[in-house]
Amino acid sequence: MSSKETFNQISPSEFFYRNRDLAGFSNPTRSLYTAVREFVENSLDACDHGGILPDVHMSIKAVDAEKPDPKQYILKVTDNGPGIESKHVPLAFGTVLYGSKFGLKQARGMFGLGATMAILYGQITTNKPVIVKSGTDGKIQDEYEMLLDIQKNKPVILKHETKETAKTGLSVSICLEGDYAKAGSKIRDYVYQTSLITPYATITFDDPKGEKYRYTKVIRTMPPSPTIIRPHPHGIDVETIRRMLSDTNYQIPTVDDKMISKVRKELGISNKNLNHSEIMNKAQKKWKTLTRPVRVVIAVMSFLKMDFEKLSKTTIEDVDIGNKKLTYWDFGESQSISVDMDPESEYYKQIANTVQGETLTSFLTKRFQRVGNTTAQKFAEYSKFKPEQRIGTMTNQELVKLTDSLQSFDDFMAPDPSCLAPLGESPLEKGMQRFFEPDFLAVVQRGASAYSGFPFVIEMGIAYGGKISSRGMKVYRFANRIPLLYDEGSDVVLKVVNDTDWSRYKIKGDPPLVIVSHICSTRVPYKTVGKENVADRPEIERELKLALLSLSRKLSSFMSKRGQAEAAIKRKNLYSKYIPLIAQFCTELAGKKKEPNYKKMITEEPIVEEES
Amino acid sequence: MKKKAKKKAAEDKQNTLAELLKKHGAQIYDDLDKGNFPKFSIPSRSVSNIVYDKKIRQYILGSNTAVRSSRNTSQLRAFTQLMWLAFFANRLTGQKKSSTLRDVYYSSQAFAVDFEDQSESDNIIVDLEAVLSSPRESFHVFPEERSSVFGDLTIEYTVPGYEGKKTNLSDHPDGYAIGPSLTSSEFTETSAEVVIAIEKGGLFTRFVEEQVDKKFKAIIVDTGGQAPRSTRTLLKRLHDELSLPVVILTDGDVYGEHIAMVIKSGSANAAHLRELTVPDAKWVGVWATDIEKYKLPTIPMTESDIKRCHDLLKDPRYQEGLWKKELEVFIKIKRKAELEAFSKYGLTNITDKYLPQKLEIAKSL
Repeated sequence: MSSKETFNQISPSEFFYRNRDLAGFSNPTRSLYTAVREFVENSLDACDHGGILPDVHMSIKAVDAEKPDPKQYILKVTDNGPGIESKHVPLAFGTVLYGSKFGLKQARGMFGLGATMAILYGQITTNKPVIVKSGTDGKIQDEYEMLLDIQKNKPVILKHETKETAKTGLSVSICLEGDYAKAGSKIRDYVYQTSLITPYATITFDDPKGEKYRYTKVIRTMPPSPTIIRPHPHGIDVETIRRMLSDTNYQIPTVDDKMISKVRKELGISNKNLNHSEIMNKAQKKWKTLTRPVRVVIAVMSFLKMDFEKLSKTTIEDVDIGNKKLTYWDFGESQSISVDMDPESEYYKQIANTVQGETLTSFLTKRFQRVGNTTAQKFAEYSKFKPEQRIGTMTNQELVKLTDSLQSFDDFMAPDPSCLAPLGESPLEKGMQRFFEPDFLAVVQRGASAYSGFPFVIEMGIAYGGKISSRGMKVYRFANRIPLLYDEGSDVVLKVVNDTDWSRYKIKGDPPLVIVSHICSTRVPYKTVGKENVADRPEIERELKLALLSLSRKLSSFMSKRGQAEAAIKRKNLYSKYIPLIAQFCTELAGKKKEPNYKKMITEEPIVEEES
Repeated sequence: MKKKAKKKAAEDKQNTLAELLKKHGAQIYDDLDKGNFPKFSIPSRSVSNIVYDKKIRQYILGSNTAVRSSRNTSQLRAFTQLMWLAFFANRLTGQKKSSTLRDVYYSSQAFAVDFEDQSESDNIIVDLEAVLSSPRESFHVFPEERSSVFGDLTIEYTVPGYEGKKTNLSDHPDGYAIGPSLTSSEFTETSAEVVIAIEKGGLFTRFVEEQVDKKFKAIIVDTGGQAPRSTRTLLKRLHDELSLPVVILTDGDVYGEHIAMVIKSGSANAAHLRELTVPDAKWVGVWATDIEKYKLPTIPMTESDIKRCHDLLKDPRYQEGLWKKELEVFIKIKRKAELEAFSKYGLTNITDKYLPQKLEIAKSL
C-alpha cells in the first residue's frame, strides 16, 4: 500500500449518493415508484402515530408533458398528520440518518430514511430543491425550500416562510427524473392495494395523464396502535447488547444546566434555592418517584457535598469504584479534585450499580420482555454465568457468550405481540367488501406467534364471486400494511396457496377468487433487499397454512350450499319442462279427458331427496 | 292335410298390450294427481343381470330391476321419453299404423320430446319392450330389413283396409315380404308339415324353383343372414300355432351355426323378450362334419372366424352335443363351406340329395 494514499471519511449522504440503487433508486422507473412509496408510507405512519384517520393526497405531474419518458416529474404528497415541528424540518428532510422510527414496534418503514433518499435522488437528477410545508398546531404553517449538502450531510435552506393555516399536516414536493409510462401500472397497483389494507384512510392519486383515483375511507375507527416494547432475548445480537449497556440510563449523566433543571423539577424545587443538606432531605423523601439519572446525580451530590449553584460549575471526570474515589473538575478553581466515597452508603451502591451495570438477573428481567426472576435464574445456570454478575464488567468474549446463550435458551416465553399492529378482522372484512363486492367473504386473524424472537401475526381474507372477475385466483400480499408487488413467485404466501388442493374445497378451473394475506411483524423475514417477498420460515408457513385452512373450509361450505341452491333451481326447471309432458302423455294413455293436477309439483320447492 | 289355426291369437295379444299400457298410464296419472313423483321399475339389462335359463333354453334377465323415478333429475328426461314412447305406441296400435325405429326418432320431435340421436331413442324402445315384456313389433315398431316367406299358408289380414282379406303365401314365386301386415295376420289354413329356414336369398329362390314346398310339404323362410326379429316371431308362430317343426339350413361356418342358435334360443340382446325363440328348431346343416362327408369345396377360415369359434365355446348353449362338436370340428379343420358349394355336384344336388337326407336326420335330432 502506498504511503501517499489518503483516507477520507464520507458522510452518510455521500454514502447513499454513491450507493443509491441499494435503497431502490436504481433507474427512473424504479425511483419514481420508490419515491411514491416512501412518502405515502411516511404519511400513513405519521397519521397512525398521531392517532389521526389519514387523508393522503398524492399527485404526479410532468414538468413538460410533451417530452418523452424518462423526464422530470413533480411528486407531491400531502397528509393531515401531526406535522413536524418547524425546527426539526431541516434536519428531518435535509439529513440522511435522521429518523424518528428507531424503536421496536411495527411500522411501515423502518427508520424514515427513504424519504430523504427520495429527496436526494430528486436533487441529483434535477438539481431542484425540496419544498416542505408543515403545520403542527393548526395555526401556523412553515414552508421550507431546501437542498442537501451531500458532502457535509447538512441541509441548505433556500427559503423559509410562515403562513397562517387552519390545518395540521405535512406536504412534501420534490422534482425528480422518472418514467411514468413504465412505472404507472405499479404505482396505481400500489395505491389500490394500499387503500385495500388501509380501509380507515382516504387515499387519492392524480396521475400525470389527468386520471384521478379516489379511495375513500370505509371505516372511521383507527385500529389499535402498537406499543413500543422491550426486545425478546431470541432476537438479540452482540451489537444490540452493547447498545443496551451504554444506554444513557446506565452512565453517570452529564451534569449540565438541563440536567440540573430536571433534578430540581423532580424534587419539586424548581424555583427554590436550597442548601446541600436540605436538598438531600428532599431527595430522601422523594426517592421512590425519582428517575434513575436524577438518583445518580443526587448520589454524586451526596459525596460532593454541593448545592446546585456549585454543582453547575463542575464536571465529573472519573468514578473509580475500585478505589472508591470520585474525581471532578472544578471550573471555578480550574483544578481536578478527588473525594472518597463511603462504601457503606446507599449512594455508593447507586453509583456502583450505574457504573458496573446491573446484575445479570436484574438486566434480564428489566431490559427484556417477559423474563421473570425464575427464568433469569434458570438462564444463568444454563449460560454458566453467576446470577449476580455485573453486566458492566463483562468482557467482549463474555458478551458474545451471553448473546449466544440468549439466542439458544429455549425456556423464554414467546415474544409479546403488543408491539404489533394487525388491521383486525372487521376492518379487513369491510375493506375487502368494498373493493371486491363478493358473494362470499371470510376473514381470520390468527393468534400471535413468533420466529427467532420476533413476534408476528397473520391476517387473511378470502373472497369469492360477485364482482370478482373469473380470470383465476388472485393473491394480494401485504406485510406491515405495505403491499408487496414484485417477486410474487418465490413468496411463502404463494407457496402455501399453490400447495393447497383447491378441488377439495370445490374450487375448480379459473375461479373468481381473491386471497388477501397480511403478515405483521417487528421484523418481516424478507428474502431479498428489495423487500418484496417473504421467506418461508416454518413458523410463518404454518400459521399461513392454518389461516388458509380455516378460510377455505368456510368457502367450501359456501360452495356446497351454492351448489345445492343451483341444483334446486336446475331441478325446478327440469320439472317444469318434463312433468307437464308426462301428464299429457299419461292422460291419453289412461284414457282420461282432464290432465292430472300436477301444478303444485312444479311450483313448490322440491324436497331434496335424490334416489340413486 | 289342412290345418286350422287358432283364431284371433294376434288380436288377443294386441288387446293385452293395450290394457297393459292403459294400466301403466293410469298408475302414473294417479301419482301425478296426488302430487307424487311417478316411478316404475324396469328389469335391468346390464350384462350382470343376463343369465341363461336352461329350462326354457334361452337367455333371460335376472331378478335385478332398475327404478326409473321422475323425481330424480338425471332420470327425468329418460322417464319422459319412455312415457312418450308408451303414448306413441298406444296411438300406433290404436290407429293400426306401423312405424320404424327411425320413424320413432323423428316423431318424437313433434311432441317436444328430444332425443339426442337415434341410438338414444332405440334404447328407450328396448326399455319399453322390457317393461311390457313384448317385442317392439307388438306395438307396431318394425325393423327396416325384410326377409321372405313362401309356401302353402293362407293368411287373413288384420291391418286397416285389408281386414278379412285372404292370401295364400304360395301365390307369388318371389315369396312374400315378412312385414307388419303379414306378421299381424291370422293364420287360417296350411298343408305344410315342416318349416325350412334358409340363410340365403339365392338358395330360397332355388328352393322355390325346385318346388321344395310341394315336394317336402314345406314353408320356406329366407332369414337374410341373421334373422330379423319379425322373422323370428313368424317362425315362432308357425311352430306354436301350427305345430310345425322348424329346420334351419345355413352356410357351413361359425356364423351360420350361430344364426341357427339365435333362432333357437335368442340372443343376449333380447334377453328381456320371450316371444322370439323356437327352442325346438333344429339346425340341420351345413355342419362342419358335412364338409368332409360331402367333400365340399372350402375356404380357409380367417383369424376372426377362429376367434369367434373360441368365443362361442364359452357360451353355455354350446357346451354339449351337436353344437359343441361342430364348433370343435370347425376349429380343427380351419375351413368353411357355403351352401352354394353343393353346386359342384349340379345345381339341384342340394334339393335332390342333401335336403332329403337332412330332413331325415332332423327327425332323430
